[in-house]
Amino acid sequence: MSTLRRFDPVLLLAVPAVAYLALIYGAPLLMLLGRSVLSDGTPSLAPFIGFFGDAFNWAVIGNTLRIALLVTLVCLVIGYPTALALTRARGAVQILILIAIILPLSVGVVVKAFAWQIVLRRDGVVSQFMIGTGLWDEPQRLLFTEAGLVIGAANVFVPFMILPIYSVLKLIDPRLGEAAATLGASPVRRFFTVALPLSLPGIVTGIAFVFSMAASMYVIPSLLIGDRFQTLATLTGRSFLFMRNEQLGSTTAVVLLVLTVAIVMLSATLSKRLGGGT
Amino acid sequence: MDKLQSTRPGRRAVLRAGAGLVTLLAAPAVARGQAKELVVGGAAGHKPWVEATVAPLFEKKYGAKIIFEGTRSLVNLEKMQKNKGKQYMSVVQMDDPVMILAVKEGLLEPLTAAKASNLPDLLPGSTHMDGMWANYLQPWLGVAYNSKVMKTPPTSWADIFDAKYKGRIIIPSLQNTEGLPNLFAAGMLAGVSVADAQKDTDAGFKKLATLKPNLLTIYTQQPQAFNLLEQGEAYMIAPAMSSYALERKAAGAPIDLAAPKEGVFAMPSGIAVIKDSPNQELAFAYVNEMLGVELQSKLAGPTFSLATNKVVPRPAGLSTDVRIHQIDWANVAAKRTEWVTRWDREMAR
Repeated sequence: MSTLRRFDPVLLLAVPAVAYLALIYGAPLLMLLGRSVLSDGTPSLAPFIGFFGDAFNWAVIGNTLRIALLVTLVCLVIGYPTALALTRARGAVQILILIAIILPLSVGVVVKAFAWQIVLRRDGVVSQFMIGTGLWDEPQRLLFTEAGLVIGAANVFVPFMILPIYSVLKLIDPRLGEAAATLGASPVRRFFTVALPLSLPGIVTGIAFVFSMAASMYVIPSLLIGDRFQTLATLTGRSFLFMRNEQLGSTTAVVLLVLTVAIVMLSATLSKRLGGGT
Repeated sequence: MDKLQSTRPGRRAVLRAGAGLVTLLAAPAVARGQAKELVVGGAAGHKPWVEATVAPLFEKKYGAKIIFEGTRSLVNLEKMQKNKGKQYMSVVQMDDPVMILAVKEGLLEPLTAAKASNLPDLLPGSTHMDGMWANYLQPWLGVAYNSKVMKTPPTSWADIFDAKYKGRIIIPSLQNTEGLPNLFAAGMLAGVSVADAQKDTDAGFKKLATLKPNLLTIYTQQPQAFNLLEQGEAYMIAPAMSSYALERKAAGAPIDLAAPKEGVFAMPSGIAVIKDSPNQELAFAYVNEMLGVELQSKLAGPTFSLATNKVVPRPAGLSTDVRIHQIDWANVAAKRTEWVTRWDREMAR
């Protein structure tokens, strides 16, 4: 097989999209990258050295990664079984699950954040449930805590985990599971040796979606945890808007971009190692 | 070379045509000027009271029409910058921090007693940067509290530090203009005079750090914070603006605004005449009316604000012996970045 393929004219159909992205996404990104390595007009790594020399910025990076990883984990734990259920469901049940996943996407993040405020407050349903079940002795504060932020953010992003996993799961030939069953594999073994490895591409896509969105979310932390919790995204916004420090803003934005791309690529590589990636 | 030269008349022609076009476009503005219209730029929230109270009075007295353009202070600044040399707005109503930027850009015409006779009647601290602008009204900053859960209203800025309010206090971010006085109030509690607390914020920062156990959150979105206060999840917001808190109270929310014994802070609502703008005489007349007794008496109540004219009494809810601290906004503009940087390090987590 030759590695060189003949040019397919159908590829030309991608030209408008590529041009559009290059213009509105690529060009500003290049400008941002350029600005982050320019100090008083001359190329310099000083902004990055200054950034990484400040312990506060490491705490911000830590906040960003910890929250993004927790949100991704929660989404995966909730999202995978949901995707599996969606694959098995038929008729009205399947439609109901799909609506439950897709409809919340049409509700704005700000509205959701306000709703979470009501759910998570001291006399809210979560608190009442925990006291009712005897798990808590008295109302506890969930609002404006990291736990509250993770719960709220996972709620916003979970469809982006479910849908890619579902789209891969439904393509898996059901006969593979049946074949494993005829060879004596238990349902648990069938799941871990057949379904899970084959669905890894969907998991990786879901992780990539959710992680990159959770790492760069801006409105959700500002509404669900407030000004006391800084992430790279909120620090970038604050540098540009309030400190009028474009240099710092560009630097934090580039650090966020590099971190996100690196984690996403790492998870893709890992999934290939595990044998599921294609 | 010849070819290059031959293009020059062409360019001139283009320039001439351009100039002609500008004149043509400018002509209606001139015509408007002759019809005595005055364009005033302000905040979108000002529109109801400008159109209901200010415009009728002014139009009757001067036979001129007011056209009010309501937007945000920074947008007004942008309009003035872009129209430099061909201004169509004559008067601008903006927040003081934005006024400072307009002064730096050379966009404002100074106010003098000769041009606005009410200027000498203003309270001290109401005019800024050698009369470049004046404050026509000042919403005041006190401590907002939920009147259902707090039967005794707060009396001091120190109340929010009381350990019994663990997790029940909300303060504004330093990004919000109304958040800045927290530093000065905390400085006062640490025993520094309000003037010194504005210059050296060290004591204020140290005192504020002790507030952390009591904090429910630090807000950047004002409606969100008031929502939590009205629900009773938060007990107090400090500082809170009279123009927002008292409006919510008037709408039936179970909240009120207390004026602490150490004094309240005045928020800035500035007014200025734009440099090289049309109808300068009318523009100064408009500013003069806004600084006068008649209009300020009418506006202070509905906007829950303090008048800046000495003659106008204080609004209801604010006793006459409450001290009102003025903020040095030029100092704020110079130091804000430094403060935000320190705030992040000391107030986060």
